[in-house]
Amino acid sequence: MIAVVFKHEVHALFRTPFAWWVLAAVQFLIAYQFLAQIDIFVQYLPKLRGLAQPPGVTQMVVIPLFGVTALVLLFLLPVLTMHSFSGERRAGILRLWYSAPIRLSSLVLGKFCGLMSLNAALWSLNALMPLTLLWGTALDLGTYTGGLLGLFLLMMAGTAIGLCFSALSAQPATAAIGTFVSLLVLWLIDWASQFEAKAGLLSQLSMFTHFQRLTRGLLDSFSVAYFLLITLGALALAVWALHGDRRAL
Amino acid sequence: MTPDVLLAARGVSRRYGTRIAVQGLNLELRRGEVLGLLGLNGAGKSTTLQILTGVLAPHSGVVKIGGHDLARSPLAAKRHVGYLPEIPPLYQDSQVDEYLRFCAELHAVPPVQVENAVARCVNRCGLTEVSHRLIRNLSKGYQQRVGIAQAIVHEPSVLILDEPTVGLDPAQIQEVRALIRTLGREHAVVLSTHLLAEADSLCSRVVILHHGRVVYDHVLGEGGRSLMVGFSAPPALKELSQLLNVRSVSMLAGGRFECLTDDLAATAEVITVAAVNRHWGLQELTPGKTTLERTFLELTRDHQGLGEHQ
Repeated sequence: MIAVVFKHEVHALFRTPFAWWVLAAVQFLIAYQFLAQIDIFVQYLPKLRGLAQPPGVTQMVVIPLFGVTALVLLFLLPVLTMHSFSGERRAGILRLWYSAPIRLSSLVLGKFCGLMSLNAALWSLNALMPLTLLWGTALDLGTYTGGLLGLFLLMMAGTAIGLCFSALSAQPATAAIGTFVSLLVLWLIDWASQFEAKAGLLSQLSMFTHFQRLTRGLLDSFSVAYFLLITLGALALAVWALHGDRRAL
Repeated sequence: MTPDVLLAARGVSRRYGTRIAVQGLNLELRRGEVLGLLGLNGAGKSTTLQILTGVLAPHSGVVKIGGHDLARSPLAAKRHVGYLPEIPPLYQDSQVDEYLRFCAELHAVPPVQVENAVARCVNRCGLTEVSHRLIRNLSKGYQQRVGIAQAIVHEPSVLILDEPTVGLDPAQIQEVRALIRTLGREHAVVLSTHLLAEADSLCSRVVILHHGRVVYDHVLGEGGRSLMVGFSAPPALKELSQLLNVRSVSMLAGGRFECLTDDLAATAEVITVAAVNRHWGLQELTPGKTTLERTFLELTRDHQGLGEHQ
């Protein structure tokens, strides 16, 4: 049943121009960033040579690229996920799912996987572009892989949070705002840690901290678990919220 | 429960906050029955249908479909149900056949039978010409038909239709009614409507809901219809009632009579002939309220006023 929902979602997503516009816009943004970073790298190359441990092209070009994508995701994921449940609730389509012989968990997982297909396409754009550097130089494949992993985990967590808010709210716009604020708070929560003595906890809660750790090529199982926990928690909450539609209170 | 009973609800209640939507509802539906659910707006028709399809959980009571308890084994029970909500649940950006294929898969039609199932219901609902068009570009009538097709694509034994003819033009209404009549022979159908004529012409059984309670549950085809007649030189009541082989005749003001009859056409003919021969001056000859209409109005009278319900 998950496969049926997945197939339907992918179909629905890529049928409209929305997905293609998103892919084109992100491609444009990261291409621009990519060229700009290369330009900077080449400019600073003589100075970098003088350092004891100069940052490589991966740190200077590839990782900032992923950073831009992460920032785009912050804005994109709320819009991408807002219609999943609350839009369908408004249009009366949720009743089709509710009266069908399908578990709500399968429905949520199917939708999640469907949305991840667009994310995966975005992710591939990010993965492929830095590979062009291999013609002229060597990449630090550890950092590169770590960054890609971080990006994918970020996409999973953000999409799950979006689905959760979409399941909770009656209006797509409310869902989008909820998702955006949550992502922003989770991203920026470590700012406060600069001023507090006991900053460890806040910084550990921050998506930014974990994302950065992974982009440094540090394959930290704690960071991976952090993203997976957020994903699972948000998806479970989405299932619970949908149950609320039919539950007798 | 006898094997022929496809849908059974016992003691079903549902509240919204403190407002009672449905209370102590009992229903039984057999194969070949078309049950009409009637009621004023806000009587609990849609809530009842949503409970019967598993979209809403009842506060108390049991719903069984094809012998499966909807609360205990929802997936098995829901396989036997086709549901058309008030607003057809259509993906506007899909093509008709694509959407129906998805609905078939969603309702666990085996992959090898999906194409056949879609072709069959496209044919049945008269969608052949529009099967490759986007749903958003279809007229309201066609969209409603796609909604019905969606409900029957997996050949459910119980079909639940919430106001299936709402918003259609008269020709489309006739078509949809004919379709429901055909479906009613093989499936068990529950439909809600507030058109009494529709219930009269379509349903084999009628349930009237009022304030969320069943106030009437009867097999149709009994009772009769009334005929309103008016004369410029009215005969005596006795003369008229002797003339006609009818259940009852009552005199109204202004030379008008109401006759309750089993055969509307025959009674009208007798009256016309007599009126011409005896110079009564026939002024009016119209079908009056059906028995269903009378019953309905009587049972729901306390809230004829507007604004009492939403």
